[in-house]
Amino acid sequence: MIERYSLQPSNFNPETPKELVILSIIAQSFFQPFSLEDNLLVILTALTAGSGIGFNRAMLFLNDGMKLKAATWLGPRSPEEAEAIWTMLSSPGIGYAEIVAYNRDLVTKMVRDIQPRLKSLVYDLESRTLPLPAMAAVNKEIILVTEAQNEPAVDPNFINFIKVDSFLCLPLVAQDEILGEIVVDKGITHAPIEAKDIELARLCALLAGNYIYTTNLYKKVVEMEKMAALGEMAAFVSHQLRNPIVAIGGFTTQMLSSPCQPERCRRNLNIIQEQVKHLEDIIYKLSHFLKNTIRELKPVDARPILLNLVERPDIKLKAAKKTISLKIPENLPLIQCDQVYFEEAVVNLLDNALDVTPDGGKVYLRARPYNDKYVMIIIKDSGPGLDEKSRDKLFSPFYTTKENGTGLGLLFVKRIIDTCNGKLEVQSKPGRGTMFKLYFKIQERG
Amino acid sequence: MKKILLIEDDLALSLLYEEELKNEGYSIVVAHDADSALELVRKEPFDLIITDIRMPGKDGIELIANVMGLRKDIPIIINTAYQSYKDDFMTWAADAYIIKSSSLDELKAKIKELIGN
Repeated sequence: MIERYSLQPSNFNPETPKELVILSIIAQSFFQPFSLEDNLLVILTALTAGSGIGFNRAMLFLNDGMKLKAATWLGPRSPEEAEAIWTMLSSPGIGYAEIVAYNRDLVTKMVRDIQPRLKSLVYDLESRTLPLPAMAAVNKEIILVTEAQNEPAVDPNFINFIKVDSFLCLPLVAQDEILGEIVVDKGITHAPIEAKDIELARLCALLAGNYIYTTNLYKKVVEMEKMAALGEMAAFVSHQLRNPIVAIGGFTTQMLSSPCQPERCRRNLNIIQEQVKHLEDIIYKLSHFLKNTIRELKPVDARPILLNLVERPDIKLKAAKKTISLKIPENLPLIQCDQVYFEEAVVNLLDNALDVTPDGGKVYLRARPYNDKYVMIIIKDSGPGLDEKSRDKLFSPFYTTKENGTGLGLLFVKRIIDTCNGKLEVQSKPGRGTMFKLYFKIQERG
Repeated sequence: MKKILLIEDDLALSLLYEEELKNEGYSIVVAHDADSALELVRKEPFDLIITDIRMPGKDGIELIANVMGLRKDIPIIINTAYQSYKDDFMTWAADAYIIKSSSLDELKAKIKELIGN
């Protein structure tokens, strides 16, 4: 016998301990697209919900590198507002998404009221003597403050702001890095902060710290990827531009250094002109590649595009001594992409296929529905095919086998397909030609 | 006359090098890819090989490894647009690494140093 349970936390029965309910709502973040803002919002809500951990208000500080700055303050401004939030949170079926939707609105409203004042709460982390609340973050310890008015370690400006006598400082730390702090209080109920409140709050702070840490890490990775791409770009510029420049310089020097025969001079000038054209082509393609992206996916009728494509003069010229075998069914479903970019992707591959197919050879262009989810476009050549090594290099930037290639064409194709949430498959063997299979998602009706 | 095998996939550049080096009194044989270069190495003796790194099919590094399997004694100059591999050329068993330039003086000087004229 087997029993099945959903991976996603669902509704709880009334006897479930409130701690478990809170944590499972927080855990729902794993099923959402990652958003630091939303995740922190849910944690702050969990901390401040009356039916939850029992604090009323939570203030989030973030470390911007040198300073700890107040970023958000969540919580009701009055017992009435508190009552409304508690009612909302105790209604059945409430989850992560509902909390985010509700609180985003609340935060926007609150922030407008208090944002200017919140900005005044800034603590320099490098300073030698730091008052509370910042001291907790720097010391990486949870600090409970009671009778704040009589406590010299507390920043008077902060007490003046939150207007409570007792609050809990929760440092947000991950991998020994100070990422921020959450300060919670019971400013509405004025109940004492108890040991069990602190236990659950500690768990929330650990999670919040990890969310921030993950986000920072992700930003770093993106930055590193950009740098790597930049490095590759520099290698490309140095290689692709250097060849024509060397040729232009070399043939010019040749003409200048010895008496130039008219015939030789003319030949050299022709070569120079060709190289300049090649440079222009590289620059055009490069700027085209860098600038253009698909902004919005739209339904695209692939059939007329594919049929028109083989009538294009540039394609016809290339296909003059070859055959393009075309099979596109009439009732091909609409796909999700962008008309111009879809055509560009197919033209790129068709152009390559014609290039490598010998005179008298055949290039195949096919389209058909695949798996109810995709439309599959096939472009197959009768060229020499690729060995494993060349196949692996196929999509690396600036890899080319063409005399005047830029090595950007296939990369551009891949980017178009990725943006359209499609898939790309390559099958090739030496002597057997190369087949590209493009899968585009079918646009659902309505 | 010393015989040099030049491997360069760029047609304009291979023509430039061929003419300039012939002018210096060398006999030049040109190949546009690694496979045809290896075919030539199997068939005829050469005093020097000049090769690019990035080429369609086998690249220059692979070509050098293959040449080493056939003829260990031929000096090899890498002549490329890439600056980034400059530190590695010794490990590929090449004798010199020259970054392509419109002035062929450095290349000519290196050839002279390796095989005289």
